[in-house]
Amino acid sequence: MSARLQASRASRPSDAELISAREFLPGQWLQTYRAPSLAASLRPGQYLQVDAPIGWGVPMRRPVTVHSVDRGRGEVSVHLDSADPATTWLSTVRPSENVALLGPLGRPVRVDPRSHQLLLIAEGPAVAGLRFIADEALTAGRRVTLLLGAHGAAEVYPSSLLPDEVEYVVATDDGSVGHVGSVVDLVTRYEAWADQAFAAGPPAMLATLARLAAGREKRLGVARLGRRGGRAPARGSQRARPRSWLQVLLPQRVGCALGVCLGCVVMGSDGPTRVCREGPVYEVDELTWDDPT
Amino acid sequence: MIDFLLNPVMAAAGCFGYGVEAEGQVDLSRLGAIVTRGTTLQPRSGAPAPRMVEAPSGLLHAIGHQNPGIAQVLERFAPRWATWTVPVILNLAASSAEDFASMAGRADVPGVAALEIDLASPDLARRGRPISLDPAAAARVTAAVRQATDLPVIVKLSPAAGDVRALTRAVVEAGANALTCGGGMPASGATLGSSTGTLSGPAIRPIAIRMVEQAHDAVSVPIIGCGGVATVADVLAMLAAGAAAVQIGTALLADPTLAGRLADELRLLRPPV
Repeated sequence: MSARLQASRASRPSDAELISAREFLPGQWLQTYRAPSLAASLRPGQYLQVDAPIGWGVPMRRPVTVHSVDRGRGEVSVHLDSADPATTWLSTVRPSENVALLGPLGRPVRVDPRSHQLLLIAEGPAVAGLRFIADEALTAGRRVTLLLGAHGAAEVYPSSLLPDEVEYVVATDDGSVGHVGSVVDLVTRYEAWADQAFAAGPPAMLATLARLAAGREKRLGVARLGRRGGRAPARGSQRARPRSWLQVLLPQRVGCALGVCLGCVVMGSDGPTRVCREGPVYEVDELTWDDPT
Repeated sequence: MIDFLLNPVMAAAGCFGYGVEAEGQVDLSRLGAIVTRGTTLQPRSGAPAPRMVEAPSGLLHAIGHQNPGIAQVLERFAPRWATWTVPVILNLAASSAEDFASMAGRADVPGVAALEIDLASPDLARRGRPISLDPAAAARVTAAVRQATDLPVIVKLSPAAGDVRALTRAVVEAGANALTCGGGMPASGATLGSSTGTLSGPAIRPIAIRMVEQAHDAVSVPIIGCGGVATVADVLAMLAAGAAAVQIGTALLADPTLAGRLADELRLLRPPV
């Protein structure tokens, strides 16, 4: 526990100046803040919290998803969804105004140095949390395929916001764009190609992916990564995380973000786990999937 | 009987865990005392997710008393508490007077300044009804704990009873040294993982203030006001209602340094006599 607490001391609110905001889909916003220290320290998968001013009737800090980071400019883009109460007041912030952003919070995704082909799987607005992974992977010379599921064309993350190098495949429930059906149906086509996969979306979708991932090695008959690196780490252990084929980003909930209040806890395979500290990124075997998260 | 407090501003149960979690991030020595997470006889893994959801001006939560159990808590944390200047009040949660007494009998160790007996949380053995809705049951628990320990016993009562005067009298007659009044209303919400939770935060502040007034009217032991306190004005309102001290809960989750700042501000407003 003490090691985690040491790490948490690095998280301090940073004054961030809003530079720009745009509603890129109905009810979905991207806000870009000038926050050089955050931009330098944030890693894909980590998140932020913002503090609503007194008077908004929001007594807790709100978790905010990091969309992308421009280290050169010292800028951080966050994703706002009108389904989230924080959006109501955060969207009233005007350019040149300052907001206190707390972070980086949580543990980032772990990409195996030997992974060259990354599969990103998202359903709905949660795709915003995967964008930073794609950027970092491309910078490191990896190939990236993004699979996105949405109800219809009006909810599909615009390809114009993605780097050209990302292969982007869409599935919609109503078939208005891309494949008809669930994004999960697409995963089996890419599971042999991908060295590692990272998923974000509703709990039911993540649970389906978890079941799919459990049968992958058998379907493909693949040897495990790391067979030459001595004994393989136990499935579900923290050491197994960077080598795991599938990592999931759990949605953030209100809470202290310091690991104290236990409000964000979900059931892990080794007992209760705090999403704010041990997560929000988990190797798929670290969680139990019969429990609604 | 709460003269061990360094000042009237305390951290409410659950907001700083067992203190050690918050130690590196907050100057605990500025607080009057900290109350620990609710501790049970056996380890508990807690309630299903989601455990915490927002409500208008409030927080709806059902943590389910996730904790490592009394034995682990006393072994792992009490030696650390004994080195601190801030008094640590051990919060105990159980469904029966026997379990409360069993824990209380073990808790008089260096590092534990007092006990807070949680009769305010939803009780699983009573279909989510807090024990303190039943004055006779609350008095039985208090008497059993009183018998088991020489530590100061603070009993935390739910505001859900409406008129708490009979309840507070029963608990004080049974041996309570002080009362924590407030601490949340039993509440439910479709998005919560548990069927019953607790509503806390600014939404319940006026309810807690009324409860403090009633308790102050009914009994002469010190009253600790708890419910939605977030500013120094809220602290003063609680003290004006008859509280001897206050606990900060939900607001500490948003800003862990708040309790220390409120304690400092209060000191400036009310120089020690």
